[in-house]
Amino acid sequence: MMERVTIFCFEASYAVALALELLQLMKPKPLLRVLGLGFGSAGFLAHTLFILAQPPSLADPLGSVLFLAWILAIFYLYGSVHHRHLAWGLFVLPFVLGLIVLGELFPSGLTAARGSLWDDLLHLRGERFWGILHGVLLLCAAVGVSVGCVASVMYLVQVEKLRAKTAPGQGMKMLSLERIEAMNRRAILWAFPFLTVGLLVGIGLQVQRNEFTEGWSSPKILSVLGLWVVFAILLYLRYGVHVRGRQAAWWTLLAFGLMLLALVSGHPFLQGGTS
Amino acid sequence: MNLLVVGASFKTAPIDVRERLGFAGPKLASALQELNSRFDCEAVILSTCNRVELYLARDGAPNAPDVELIGEFLAQEHQLPVEKVRPHLYHEGHAEAVKHLFRVASSLDSMIVGEGQIAGQVKRAYEFAQEQGTVGAVLHVLFQQAFAVAKRVRTQTGIGRGHASVSSVAVDYVRQVFDHFNDKTVLVIGAGKMGELTLRHLKDLQPRKILVTNRSPDKAISVAQGCGGQAIAWEQLDDALVQADIVLSTTGAPEPIMTRRRFDGILARRTGGTMVILDIAVPRDFDPRIHDGDRACLFNIDDLKRIREQTLSERQKHVQPAENIIAQEVKSFVSDWKRRCHGPVIARLTKAFEERRQAIVGQLLHRLNGKLTDDDRAEIEGAFRLLQNRLLHGPISALAKETAPEGQRHTLLEALRKLFHLEE
Repeated sequence: MMERVTIFCFEASYAVALALELLQLMKPKPLLRVLGLGFGSAGFLAHTLFILAQPPSLADPLGSVLFLAWILAIFYLYGSVHHRHLAWGLFVLPFVLGLIVLGELFPSGLTAARGSLWDDLLHLRGERFWGILHGVLLLCAAVGVSVGCVASVMYLVQVEKLRAKTAPGQGMKMLSLERIEAMNRRAILWAFPFLTVGLLVGIGLQVQRNEFTEGWSSPKILSVLGLWVVFAILLYLRYGVHVRGRQAAWWTLLAFGLMLLALVSGHPFLQGGTS
Repeated sequence: MNLLVVGASFKTAPIDVRERLGFAGPKLASALQELNSRFDCEAVILSTCNRVELYLARDGAPNAPDVELIGEFLAQEHQLPVEKVRPHLYHEGHAEAVKHLFRVASSLDSMIVGEGQIAGQVKRAYEFAQEQGTVGAVLHVLFQQAFAVAKRVRTQTGIGRGHASVSSVAVDYVRQVFDHFNDKTVLVIGAGKMGELTLRHLKDLQPRKILVTNRSPDKAISVAQGCGGQAIAWEQLDDALVQADIVLSTTGAPEPIMTRRRFDGILARRTGGTMVILDIAVPRDFDPRIHDGDRACLFNIDDLKRIREQTLSERQKHVQPAENIIAQEVKSFVSDWKRRCHGPVIARLTKAFEERRQAIVGQLLHRLNGKLTDDDRAEIEGAFRLLQNRLLHGPISALAKETAPEGQRHTLLEALRKLFHLEE
């Protein structure tokens, strides 16, 4: 039964939930909100069943983005229940859907012989342990970057509403600018340590394999290094020279772009460690 | 139901008359008692800055209190010549009075349609009258229904959506930027009257600190004392702006006090987040080019008034649906009330027929005793019961459908009472 759940099942449910959110924006009706949440929840259930039945590998682009999309779906459901009157789904669901679609563009490794995350976790040892740790740390950082990115988009929309002096309560209902900014700040503060440690573990693995010089050309390593540099700049701008608001939001969006590049690039450590 | 409302509102009376007709505290209590004892009626007095209305009802009595006498009562209570009061009074009776109360409680009769205070004021008026013991069966049911109608109107239409005062709109904007206020600094520039209400609203947000500055130090101290803030020298304006989160500017300066260049210097020194500036001075105190929606959100009096006008015109779209709800509720209330009034008469009529039927059937069965089987007895009893029901069906249906003009005795009800000897 669980094997019959396909990516299309949850992708379609999330898409319907997003369409209902858009409809709700145009014609606010409590029923639409409830229906939207219902479809979102159904999508999350199918997503969870899919991950349990066909555990993807973090070494695989599709696997990485499916895990990330799953965590963001939790974020969507939490926000939709916690902030019932806000247009939460309008901001989070496009990310969830976008990640799934992005993952589908790359060859699937779901049934590959190199094993799933569950197998990896059950047989942790040696290089594979460090490879898995590296992948999990980067996934945790990716969650932070994604939440920061959602917050940045929210921030830019709210700034645009304020700049245009839109009547309060008109259009999509959102968190205050201060709250969105705090969400962005916390997401970045969460992501940076994971990213740093994940990167250090990755460098350690490269050194151990004596592939340090060759590994530089890997798009994965370059994008993760780029992501770390962007994060370091972002933190310096925020806490060193007190850059906030719109500028910080744009830097977070850049970081998200690099993170996507890192996720969809081949993963040398995990592949090496599990094959 | 014999319901009457007599009153004066902003539509019929100028403020000086309304001020003199108002009731409060002990005067309100004594007026309620006086109405109750002198006119033998239930009474609720609604007294707000925009209206003074007396809701009076007599359950079961042939007539409502006399309007002229109530006018005289109002004048007498406020020691005013009756001819000065009477031209400003309006009155409604029965279903129209019900409709009036429903419209008032739903804020359709308010100066600012959809304002949220009136429902609470009606409730307090009712509760006060109840404490005084002047609310009886009619006004209790009527006011409870009025609260339910007001709630229905607010939830089923957008009549109460948005804020309709400049100060409330200003606070709405502030809330779009800030989430909490216990770490925020409010800076008040100037001491204009325009800003008083907005400052009061900002103070309600409980900011950490309120700073007040003015070209005249005395005025700054006076405003600071009034709002529990701290007066600072005019020369410290730029330093204060560096630490301020919310700025309320109401100076009477003929030129802008804050140019873009000067403000850029202030922004460069700031380490905090977005600053919200409420510039309600005319002419404006801040250069409008300061506004970017990110680091500085500047709202001037025109912006705030525009939103207020938008809100009011938006509310107008919901007036007709609200009126439809009220018309429906009035109809339902009046017919429910009629049913309630007819109930005892119908019960007495049915009981009288029941007793007579049982007496006749009893005699008949007694006479035929021994000649009838149980089935025959049941057949006879059933036939008489059917006859009774058929006979009563006509009068009861006619009574339910009767639409006697409001305020007049129900002729059919009277006829039934007399025809069937249903006097209590």
